[in-house]
Amino acid sequence: MTKTVGITALIPPELIYACHWQPFDVNNIVPTSHTSPRSKLCAWTAVWRDMILDGGMYLDSLVVVAGGDCHNALVDGQKVAMSGKPTHYFFYPFDRDPEYMESQLLHLTEFLGGIKETGMFKQVWDLKQKGKALDRLRVEDRVRASDVFSALISFSDLQGDPVAFEKCLDNILRTNVEYSSRVALIGVPPIYPDFHEVAESLGLHIVYDELPYEFIRLGGGDLRSIARSYRDYSFSGPIETRIKVIKRELDKRNVDGVIHYTQFACHHTLEDEIFREYLDYPILTVQGDLPRPTPEQIVLRLEAFSEMLEVST
Amino acid sequence: MIGLDVGSTTAKIVLLHEGNVTKSKVVPSHRWQELVDADIDEMQIISTGYFRKKVPHRDAITEITAAIFGVKYHFPETQMIVDIGGQDTKVIDLRNNSFLINDKCSAGTGAFLELAAHYFDIPVASLGELHNRVREGAQINNTCGVFAISEMISQLVKGYTMEEVVHGIHQAFARRISQMIPPTEKVTMIGGTVLNTGILDAMNSILNSKIKVPPEPQLINALGAALYGEQKVLK
Repeated sequence: MTKTVGITALIPPELIYACHWQPFDVNNIVPTSHTSPRSKLCAWTAVWRDMILDGGMYLDSLVVVAGGDCHNALVDGQKVAMSGKPTHYFFYPFDRDPEYMESQLLHLTEFLGGIKETGMFKQVWDLKQKGKALDRLRVEDRVRASDVFSALISFSDLQGDPVAFEKCLDNILRTNVEYSSRVALIGVPPIYPDFHEVAESLGLHIVYDELPYEFIRLGGGDLRSIARSYRDYSFSGPIETRIKVIKRELDKRNVDGVIHYTQFACHHTLEDEIFREYLDYPILTVQGDLPRPTPEQIVLRLEAFSEMLEVST
Repeated sequence: MIGLDVGSTTAKIVLLHEGNVTKSKVVPSHRWQELVDADIDEMQIISTGYFRKKVPHRDAITEITAAIFGVKYHFPETQMIVDIGGQDTKVIDLRNNSFLINDKCSAGTGAFLELAAHYFDIPVASLGELHNRVREGAQINNTCGVFAISEMISQLVKGYTMEEVVHGIHQAFARRISQMIPPTEKVTMIGGTVLNTGILDAMNSILNSKIKVPPEPQLINALGAALYGEQKVLK
């Protein structure tokens, strides 16, 4: 039977499948979880930590991504490791060194027992092209943003089954989207499961989801090209390169404003001032904490932002 | 057109006819129905405030949009609006259509001043007069409302007078709000709390800006809702 490896942030899923393991992005279960963490800074990491420790999420092994992407995961991952769960630590090169990136991928494949099936690289690559096509349809207002977000966020693990996942992608409803303003959502994804639906109900069409876009943007056909691509994972490197990617996408997607979602006690929150200085768009910053339906205070901010954009355009 | 602003503490109504205010009234929020008498046509009401969707309305807008319309009526050149409410404080930057709302902490909201007034067993309205009796206040450092109260008590124990402590509370309050305000020249302050001259004095001493207060600052959001109705809904 295929074993499951939990991943705490982006790791090439094509590599995990090629090693004949099933990836499981532990974050994807957090927004709908009812777990109240015993101790926490960031609820994203504290919830998956407690779910693993309490047996609410079964995994054979865990790969913790630490460094630029997420600092809290390193400690919460170690708590899981100390409970006896086989755990591997994965680091992205802040200086974008391709050799370092390749060595990290090699260590990962050793942890997973080595590559068994290189055909998975191509299969996952093809699926990512479908993801990109879906993303373009959203920009053309032909698919609901909430549907696209649900699909793109699943590209981190392809829901554990690339064949079934492809069918899900093919079944996404095509429709004419009506809205009052086009916005981008940058930062870590909201911990509120209905965030995109709430934004939609207020006339905001989210045409860019920063982090999920990274999931389909990066990839390759072999270990070396995967290393060359994933070393550019924007969340793990200097913020200047992240701003460059964001600016390019905002321009391409013709947005009216930007929503920056920040997570309580996440170091990425400190980046808000930088974005406000370098992105020349109306910016709404919202901060979330525990997983739950979007709170009224956040709804008020979204509604006010929608009104402001509508009045000013 | 009618602007009905039912906020967390008070409800306000403004009747507007071709850009001129013909009538206005303020009551506690739980008595908002007193404002909507038999003469009022529901289809003329634009509501705003916490309870905007719970009261009769033709259209409902957020307090942020209402504040923008209301302030521009008096000061079209304003760059920054600071709206101190009972439960939250909003800073609206009109230069780039951005805003911040502080609603996670009572420090910097009307609720904090009510807490301080309650401790001294005095009306909130008298805080400004007490502030103006002294030139310098007791040092209150804490930015958390609850801890500021315990710090306030410590200063009383040390021998500071009630007037000095109130002055210090206003300075701490203004420091907290000023942290939300980006550098700017033209600031307009609105909300019932601005009627407290101690707050205005403290804000003036901290902000390097020209602060303006419109007439009847408590009614600005109701006025803005009515103006929105005339300019956007009836258009």
